[in-house]
Amino acid sequence: MISSLKFKVIIMKKDENKLTSSLFIVPYLIMFVVFLIFPLAYGAYISMHEWSLIGGKGEFVGLANYMEILFSDGTSSNIFMNGLINTLIFVVLSVPALVVLALILALLLNSLPKRIQPFFRTVYFIPYSISVSIIAVIWLWMLDTNSGLVNQFLGNFGIGPIPWLTDTNYAWFSLVLATLWWTVGFNMIILINALNEVSEELYEAGSIDGASPWQKFVHITMPSIRPIMLFVVVTTTIASFNVYGQPYLMTRGGPGTSTEVLLMGIVRQAFELRDVGVASAMAVIMTLIIICISALQFKFLRNKEGV
Amino acid sequence: MKKVNLLRNIGLIILAVFFAIFFAVPLIWMISTAFKTDMEAMLGGVNIIPETFTFENFRYFFEGANSDSPVFRWMFNSLFSATMGTLIIVSIDAMAAYALARLNIPMKKALFAIIISTLMVPWVITFLPMYMQFSQFNMLNTYGALILPYSANAFGVFLLYQFFSTFPKELEEAARIDGANKWQIFMRVVLPSARPLMATLAIFSFMTIYNDFLWPLVATNTPEMRTITTGIAIMSQGSFVSSYGKLMALTTIATVPIIIVFIIGQKHFIRGITQSGIK
Repeated sequence: MISSLKFKVIIMKKDENKLTSSLFIVPYLIMFVVFLIFPLAYGAYISMHEWSLIGGKGEFVGLANYMEILFSDGTSSNIFMNGLINTLIFVVLSVPALVVLALILALLLNSLPKRIQPFFRTVYFIPYSISVSIIAVIWLWMLDTNSGLVNQFLGNFGIGPIPWLTDTNYAWFSLVLATLWWTVGFNMIILINALNEVSEELYEAGSIDGASPWQKFVHITMPSIRPIMLFVVVTTTIASFNVYGQPYLMTRGGPGTSTEVLLMGIVRQAFELRDVGVASAMAVIMTLIIICISALQFKFLRNKEGV
Repeated sequence: MKKVNLLRNIGLIILAVFFAIFFAVPLIWMISTAFKTDMEAMLGGVNIIPETFTFENFRYFFEGANSDSPVFRWMFNSLFSATMGTLIIVSIDAMAAYALARLNIPMKKALFAIIISTLMVPWVITFLPMYMQFSQFNMLNTYGALILPYSANAFGVFLLYQFFSTFPKELEEAARIDGANKWQIFMRVVLPSARPLMATLAIFSFMTIYNDFLWPLVATNTPEMRTITTGIAIMSQGSFVSSYGKLMALTTIATVPIIIVFIIGQKHFIRGITQSGIK
């Protein structure tokens, strides 16, 4: 009798408990639904309609927008394919540079005397705190063909003037250079942390076996930091895939549309051609590509690791 | 042996200085140009110290007669939205993470799985529908548009969840015996110990909002509602396209505060980065 009464009280208390506990998560859930889940669903919905920026919703067209982008030879297909190829070029050029230089900087910082490490770390990392439009403006000025510091400096040696931003090949170099200057510090910080986690005992054991610094790096350091390297490669790839500000401001996608990246193409499709339906379909395809590439990288790099 | 070490150290320091120059020169050049006349800037040369030192470029912005580039309004917009956004993110994320980690709420596992899976979703897919949403509710060019969209991110929930799930249960238990309710336990016992992590999340969120580019670019189109980032972008393609002295003064005004915040908060920021990477 008493025990069943006790049981009832506990149940009632539990319900009330659940209610007040739920209040903790309600504010976040509202934001989560309104600004993430709903836009996700809405984006998919828009992508299956004719939808103009001005006129609003038109007919339901199913997957026609996707077909147009992937299999037709029209404007939107050209914008998408050109953007995708240029984005891939940027990814292929920037990711190795961003990972390798970050590793070099991290190794360099770690072998400096302890007292001066924080100074150099801060200097290398400061550009990361500056926003993309300022980065772009600074580099526009640095790389200005006539009065930029770089060409003025090279001019002293009789080189140039080099068209850093108006020739396609140099333009890619400039975009990667500005990106490298801006974000390599971020990867460097992650890798410094990874290097500090490698156990000292392994290095000592290596020294006893007479391993050279290079052997230690290949056989001890690299295997130990591989999981973090994986993280760095994947996040850098995703970030490079989402590149927008640098080409938008530094080359304006030019010369012609030779450096117009995918995100710029989507924005053009939506806001210049005012075709939100097709632009949304482009965004969905781009999302799927990004998710696939990061999944593949995880799989590939994991397998190599033998996990 | 010692001599070899010394030589090695000198070599490494020279290399470190070389890289430091690479990272510092563009910033030094920006500040240097800001104090030059447009004429001297356009003439080129590699002189860091201006021949004719001028405050004219800065005065242009401080006098406030320039309706096309209200730079202090832009700075206010950026600082205000970043601060408000950060406050919202830190408070709702902390409560949500605590509920998910420690409280008894319905469908806890499913909710957690859904929220965490959105960490994989790149933001490109939400920005167009979000633009349509804000435009339909006539909320473009408002602070709501500059603040609210950032509050749905799952990163903070994920970060704090990891901390709360390892928080010692005994401390909560002790407070409960003393008669504290859930809210009091959360505010007085759990949150104070999460302070460093919340600072990390705060700096992370602040920088994300302050530095964001594409969203504020499409979500605002009046000079008064631009953020510093989008304002500079517009000016660099408009009035200042050949006036590098003014453009560099503008970027100097915009850069210095954030670099100061950054150097002060560096420790938390670095911890935030590494924590986001390890787990």
